[in-house]
Amino acid sequence: MRESHPSALARHGFEDTRTMSTQTIPMPIAAEAQLKPTSLAATLPGIALLFAIGLLAKLLEHVGVVLRTQYRLSFPQIEYVLWAILLGLVVSNTLGVAAVFRPGVATYELWLKLGIVLVGARFVLQDVLHIGGLSLLLVAVELVLSLTVMTLLGRIFRLPPKLTSLLAIGSSICGVTAIMAAQGAIDPDEEDTTTAIAAILTLGAIALVTFPAIGHLLRMSQQAYGMWAGLAVDNTAESIVTGSLFGQDAGRWTILAKTARSSFIGFVVLGYAVYWASRGQAAVVEHKALFLWQKFPKFILGFLAISVLATAGFFTKGQLGSLSSLSQWAFLPAFAGVGLRTNLKDLVGQGWRPLAVGVLGEIFIAIITLGLVFWSYNHGVTR
Amino acid sequence: MANPEANRTEHSRITHRLPINVDLLAVGIGLALAALIRFGIIHQISF
Repeated sequence: MRESHPSALARHGFEDTRTMSTQTIPMPIAAEAQLKPTSLAATLPGIALLFAIGLLAKLLEHVGVVLRTQYRLSFPQIEYVLWAILLGLVVSNTLGVAAVFRPGVATYELWLKLGIVLVGARFVLQDVLHIGGLSLLLVAVELVLSLTVMTLLGRIFRLPPKLTSLLAIGSSICGVTAIMAAQGAIDPDEEDTTTAIAAILTLGAIALVTFPAIGHLLRMSQQAYGMWAGLAVDNTAESIVTGSLFGQDAGRWTILAKTARSSFIGFVVLGYAVYWASRGQAAVVEHKALFLWQKFPKFILGFLAISVLATAGFFTKGQLGSLSSLSQWAFLPAFAGVGLRTNLKDLVGQGWRPLAVGVLGEIFIAIITLGLVFWSYNHGVTR
Repeated sequence: MANPEANRTEHSRITHRLPINVDLLAVGIGLALAALIRFGIIHQISF
């Protein structure tokens, strides 16, 4: 029997913290809770489902290659990334994800971040500093413009002010993670959080289809496209998938641009927390440095650590290859998770105004970031 | 004083987030795997 639909907030694997006192900035749920063996056991069915879908996707890609090369059949060339998402979407939107699988499906976030940490082996530090530094500059421009435009659009479409803040934060930095970081800091209505997450997930799903097509149409290089996907697509998972759909190399550059963008999360959320506190509608942030550290995505430090070790010659060439392969194995269940947690009925069932603001804002951000990438490409700062 | 749990929806009670810091867990596992590969405990891995 099909399970009833949890909210976008719940399905994404987040608990509702709104019952906490509004006078305190809640600690991240993960930092508060204790590791329980029963919780680990509860994740196993979902983890098995993620890997089963991922492995089936790999198998289907291989079957496609065999049918095309050995049997000369016109089987479409679909990579495992797309197969994993399609299979996840089919399961999620036909059978539904049963409650027993949900804790494990939520671990897609862990696999995604593990993949990002391990892919650090494929970047020498010079690349990270050069392209990462360039990304930081482009992100800074993108942030100012997207926050401004989303705020203006929110006012034009008369969205609730805190929903506008959530959409601006989500679309300018890293999607759902940024919205969840902000919801503890600016205390919006639950409905606003759910609406903002649904809008961001919808826009991510649209990007999966449109970005690779535009990239091919414009004959973009792997690096230019990868940077564009990292700068323009909001949610980290959708961003990396959008990059990887264009090519493995593009996916790698997407990760670099995306991590640079994610590193701004603390500053932007802090800015909004201070703004809403000044209006008496959110808790005052007393320890700003601690707040920034709590919001900083720590997996970026792991990515940098592996990159530093790789640059220092800590690994042999073969070992670097093994680390790179491991990162791909980690991304496999993460890609399946993106499909599994996307419910098309929820995406089309939201109000039209938040989606309109999101779509218009995202089109603006996509054009601006595309222009920035082409500018940097034409001026020889990217290869 | 009202019980905060009473306000929570059925879905928020049954849904989960990993009960640990996912970022730090990813870093820990990543560095551990890198060490296992570096010191030859895990050999060649292909994808």
